[in-house]
Amino acid sequence: MLRLSPFISCVYSLSSRVIWGVPHGAPLLLRPRPPGLMCVLAAGKKDLIDLPVLNEDELEEQFVRGSGPGGQATNKTSNCVVLKHIPSGTVVKCHQTRSVDINRKRAREIMRGKLDVFYKGELSEVLVNKKESELRKQEKRRKANGNLERKRLFRETLAANSKPGNDTV
Amino acid sequence: GLPCGAYMQPLQAVDLWKNHFTERGVMEPDHSSLYIMAYLLGAKTIESLEQEKLSEFLSPEKTEQMWKLCSRRLSRMPVQYVIEEWDFRDLTLKMRPPVFIPRPETEELVELMLNDLEMKPGTGIGADSQHTCLEVGCGSGAISLSLLKSLPQLKVTALDQSQDAVDLTRANALMLGLQDRLQIHCLDVMKETVLSLCRHVSTLVSNPPYLFSEDMTTLEPEIFLFEDHAALDGGKDGLKVIKQILTLAPQILSNHGRVYLEVDPRHPPLIQRWVEVNVEEMLCLFLFVRPRFCILRKEKSNKYHKLDLD
Repeated sequence: MLRLSPFISCVYSLSSRVIWGVPHGAPLLLRPRPPGLMCVLAAGKKDLIDLPVLNEDELEEQFVRGSGPGGQATNKTSNCVVLKHIPSGTVVKCHQTRSVDINRKRAREIMRGKLDVFYKGELSEVLVNKKESELRKQEKRRKANGNLERKRLFRETLAANSKPGNDTV
Repeated sequence: GLPCGAYMQPLQAVDLWKNHFTERGVMEPDHSSLYIMAYLLGAKTIESLEQEKLSEFLSPEKTEQMWKLCSRRLSRMPVQYVIEEWDFRDLTLKMRPPVFIPRPETEELVELMLNDLEMKPGTGIGADSQHTCLEVGCGSGAISLSLLKSLPQLKVTALDQSQDAVDLTRANALMLGLQDRLQIHCLDVMKETVLSLCRHVSTLVSNPPYLFSEDMTTLEPEIFLFEDHAALDGGKDGLKVIKQILTLAPQILSNHGRVYLEVDPRHPPLIQRWVEVNVEEMLCLFLFVRPRFCILRKEKSNKYHKLDLD
């Protein structure tokens, strides 16, 4: 039997087929789901564990490179990647680097974030994280202001208590 | 000519040169202009720059540099040679004519190799056995250096028949701090033996010249005028160097070692047929992932086994 398993994994890494499943405890969404789409808990970036995993069959990719044989026969430098998610019509463009490989990977990461927002709306982890980070900033500001206020009162108290004859605390 | 006393913003300069390139029939007028400007502003692409940088006016020095570099592009010099660098996967490499410029398709070949190498632990004699790799036709060092960067245990021997390529690979290896695990030799596999350099390697990789000789004359000026023809011309059927590599492969590879080739999309079935007749110890494996990759494995004395291909 020809051992093809290492190569099948290779194929999988180039066209990852993963199914989404509903995370436990998450409220059921009211938005109608496209057929055949479920969400799983996917190990993504450190803060965003719940981003949808992409199904390559639902993606259409385009290198804006024009026609021609490719490979050694051409030296086209345009490596902007345009990625379209067919079911939702979401389009992502990435030309952040001069490597097609990296642009493709980044386009997919951006797509995951966009699809998360598209399908989960306000419950999207992307938006939730954004809100949380803003709340944390506000909390920090409030604490800082609170500290300043306490310090001011303390100084005033000190000034009042430092009049001759008083015990110092 | 250089605009005298005129101060402009980056995208204005880009536009001017885009039009100039278009008038003169230079390919990719917009991309050329944008990449050169991005480089001058310290970025890889314009899209990766912040808006503030784009609204700043160009200094006279930067303007002069833009004019100097774009004028080189007018002569059809590839952008990569104009800015003397380009990226391959996560590496930035120096580029120098006439050394072959890495193509984006080859990034995928490296990805495939990394998947295979990461999954299989090093095989061979000794407790600390590691993967070793031989690259034939290293050019700027893109493939070898990519593998070395991603696999800290890997050792690579890289060959090229061009001294310019050997020098450039060495310069890139030093720049990236990968020189300790890389040996580079100036050697023509068509004429000289490689057996003295390495044996029992686990992997052989090459993006060998694979163009058909008759197609050389229709190449775009960027390639025809500036890149080493010896890195492109694979003979009448484009298989001259490929066949030589596959003939050598069983002598250099350890058993079950693999060959990874980038080839012309018409080649894989031709290679399979040729290997079956001429190189008994190599078995073709097809992934049907990309038509331009050919992957083979060494199978010692496989002529006595009929492999069950179900």
